[in-house]
Amino acid sequence: MKLNLKNIAVATYILSGLGTTVQAKDYISDKVEKFKWNDLEVVYIEDNRFPTYGLGIYFADGALGDGSVKGSIQAAFDYMSLGTRRFSRKEIADNIEFFGASMGNEVTHEFSNYAVTGLVKDIIPTVKKMCHLFHDATYPKAELDKEKKRSISGLENSAQNPGFVASRAFREISLEGTPFSYPVGGKIKDIKRWDSKILKEKLAYINHDVKKRIYLTGPKEVLNIKNVIADDCGWKGQGKFVRDVAYTKNESTGGPHITLVTVNKANQAQVRIGKTLSQADSGSTELQKLTSNYLGGGFTSQLMNVLRVENGLTYGVGAFVGMQKHYGRAGIYTSTNVETLGKLLTKTKETLDRNSEGKIDERGFNLTKGSLAGGYPFAFESSKALLAQLMTLDHLGDDYSKLTEFPTKLRSLTQKDLISEIQNVFAWDKQDIVILAPKNALDSLKEFGKVKVRSYKEFL
Amino acid sequence: MRNLKFIKNRSYLNLTPLLISSLILSCSHQSSTSKQESTQKALEQDSNGMVHLEVKKYTLPNGLKLLVYENHKLPIFSYYTFFDVGGRHEGEGTTGATHFLEHLMFKGAKKYGPGQFNFLIEGNGGQTNAYTNFDNTVYYEDLPITSGEQDMVEKVIDIEADRMDNLALVPEAFEKERNVVLEERKMRYENRPGGKLYLSMMQSIFEGTPYGGSVIGSVADLKSLTREHVSNYFKKFYTPDNATVVVAGDVDADEVYEMVKEKYGEMSPSSKEIQDYRVSRDNPDLYKHRGRYGRHVKIKANSTTPQFMLAYPSVATGIHKGYVLDILSSILGEGASSYLNQKYVASKRPILSTIYASNYTLKYSGVFFIGGELLPKKGIYWFKKQLVKDLKKSCDSAIDERSLQKTKNQYLISYVSSLETNNGVAHFLGMRENFFNDYAYYKKELDIYEKISVDEVKSACKELFNSDNFIMTSVWDKY
Repeated sequence: MKLNLKNIAVATYILSGLGTTVQAKDYISDKVEKFKWNDLEVVYIEDNRFPTYGLGIYFADGALGDGSVKGSIQAAFDYMSLGTRRFSRKEIADNIEFFGASMGNEVTHEFSNYAVTGLVKDIIPTVKKMCHLFHDATYPKAELDKEKKRSISGLENSAQNPGFVASRAFREISLEGTPFSYPVGGKIKDIKRWDSKILKEKLAYINHDVKKRIYLTGPKEVLNIKNVIADDCGWKGQGKFVRDVAYTKNESTGGPHITLVTVNKANQAQVRIGKTLSQADSGSTELQKLTSNYLGGGFTSQLMNVLRVENGLTYGVGAFVGMQKHYGRAGIYTSTNVETLGKLLTKTKETLDRNSEGKIDERGFNLTKGSLAGGYPFAFESSKALLAQLMTLDHLGDDYSKLTEFPTKLRSLTQKDLISEIQNVFAWDKQDIVILAPKNALDSLKEFGKVKVRSYKEFL
Repeated sequence: MRNLKFIKNRSYLNLTPLLISSLILSCSHQSSTSKQESTQKALEQDSNGMVHLEVKKYTLPNGLKLLVYENHKLPIFSYYTFFDVGGRHEGEGTTGATHFLEHLMFKGAKKYGPGQFNFLIEGNGGQTNAYTNFDNTVYYEDLPITSGEQDMVEKVIDIEADRMDNLALVPEAFEKERNVVLEERKMRYENRPGGKLYLSMMQSIFEGTPYGGSVIGSVADLKSLTREHVSNYFKKFYTPDNATVVVAGDVDADEVYEMVKEKYGEMSPSSKEIQDYRVSRDNPDLYKHRGRYGRHVKIKANSTTPQFMLAYPSVATGIHKGYVLDILSSILGEGASSYLNQKYVASKRPILSTIYASNYTLKYSGVFFIGGELLPKKGIYWFKKQLVKDLKKSCDSAIDERSLQKTKNQYLISYVSSLETNNGVAHFLGMRENFFNDYAYYKKELDIYEKISVDEVKSACKELFNSDNFIMTSVWDKY
């Protein structure tokens, strides 16, 4: 096909590849509106293509607001629908699901997001119901006890999901000494402490004290929820609290620090390698994305090539480098046969060392830049996904230009930048290595350093 | 499948959520929408909220089918290739061959040799993956339309045509990929009680039929599959008359057709012998349920509480009764307000931590199953009897106008959500074309759903649950 230049010219918003910052800026400025409802900030993307909407409510606190009862913020969100002063659990579920609407939340340590999707024609009654839950949830003891029992049962049986347990243990071990190591949803011992009073207090805190921001997409008529948000939810911008935290993490050296988390009867070892990052450890967002994709993004990454393509050691491997507002994490995640665990770690170390020493694979470097730049327009395909990105930028305090300038900044990155980032982030002696496997994996780990052995139950 | 998009353990053609919208959704060919209008509003809706997909369909002389959906909102596109081959085409000793072949399709062909496929797709900002189930093998790429001076639509067509016509099957890559598949098997099934449970349930309910194997394959078969096996398999099924290509995005349909014709047009269709073989695998008699009902299959696995699946024989995709059973499954087990959730999970004295129901329709058969997990100290044997008894009673108490309408509302959201991206649209169209020879078949299905009444759902419910044709499968570490 000849290049479809006509289409390119007439398309309202052209965002392809590198050098399209101007068009992306146009897209953001034309499509994204910011305004206030009373004193409450609203970010809106008009999208007329579907009879549906997406609503996200950002709360400027997360699990760090738990206080002494861990997991209570998450639980306050999760269990709002267990009952209110007017409606039973069954009535609430039936009412929300009758509209085909879905409500859910994501709680991180730093912030929380409550998301609602549904049909535009039903947005008013659905949001009214949501407001009712936020204000009148009572967490009836009988219902809460059932959910606690269910959560505990799920955690007690989590050995059936080795990937979940490995990631949970890895978080706790690699973030040890920071406020971010504890699981957002708490542990079994914490779940036992939840009660109606505590959860109501947490909900009241979320409602009244914490700063909120509305993110909304759909046809113009979805803006009709303005009065519902003000009158039914009572959110008029009065909550001002924004979570801030100061901490110092001592630099980990003399490693790697290896922990074998034992679980019986597994015939595969889950592998997690990484470390906590401070702002000083890591470069720009663009460099973080370049690094994680170069090492472990897609089927052409360095680690995928070495571990899967060349050696058939694993089904999949990935890497991530990313900063939250107050901390960051870098990690590599994969799995392998218990018998090939040693070989997998050796090959991983060789790959990291080779790149740290400056031996960057030029083809891989260029490919990763091409991949990130070429895939850039996909960030704008779904309005709901774009809105989520804007929420993250707002949380981090970054301007939306961070999104629009991504291709330009990416283009300016050099191999030297990448080497430096890998040295800072993935230096082998600074890594925490967490292996979830049966005890017999210990032998193959000893050659990599001193190994701590812990039971997976410690992390539940 | 190579990675995340793995759909073996759920209905890959779950028509219910995609199609219902009873009152509202429909599809028609609009001929007058201009490109500029499309840019502003990719999916036109009429005053009733109906969504229209404007699609052009072409068929090459060698049998290859092409669907193109133009969406000029952004300079990106999705490219799907559906092959009408899956686990049901495998024979004894060759389970897993279809899926293994899917992996090998990324390992190089004649023009684009080993490693080039992924480098070309990912290096130009794209993503690619594939999945295999009992009926289909499906490949896709999401890409920008251009990369530098390169026309990526043209490039993908060239790459896909190359591997369909000239797969290399390099011996060294073959052996390495065998290990990768074995690791995948461990990850998805051997180490997961839920995976073991699903495999066993499917093998029990479809015992003695082409659906009674496993798509991932047995370890013994995977270890013994030879390059010749897979090569023969490729020759039999990867032919233009057994494939459908779907392109959705910022493309010109007629230009895409011209390029596809150029790259795929010279490929030969299957020989008469191979066509006859394929037809022989489509004989509905092969797929008649012949499971040994009334059994309780118990599997020892690493789960501290019992997990179960209670399976009843269901019908193939496209059969009227299947649509009724779709609705029944949603009323019983979809969402917190569903009947079984309220009865066993949210009740005063809960027995289960989770429960769900699904009507999984395949091309020539189906299974209706209810799955869940018991809370600690609840007995599986007692529960099985209770569940069977309660299901018989559920038909009169669970199904009413409100639960029916609720289900239809839920389906509408799912339907629209599936069309939010080019990838979603391409998959949606390709599934219907591959199953029904008609990408717009959902219009007929919408009519069916619209007309389904409470009485009809109740009747199907009673017929299903008053029968003793069920098989219980459970996993537990105490077995």
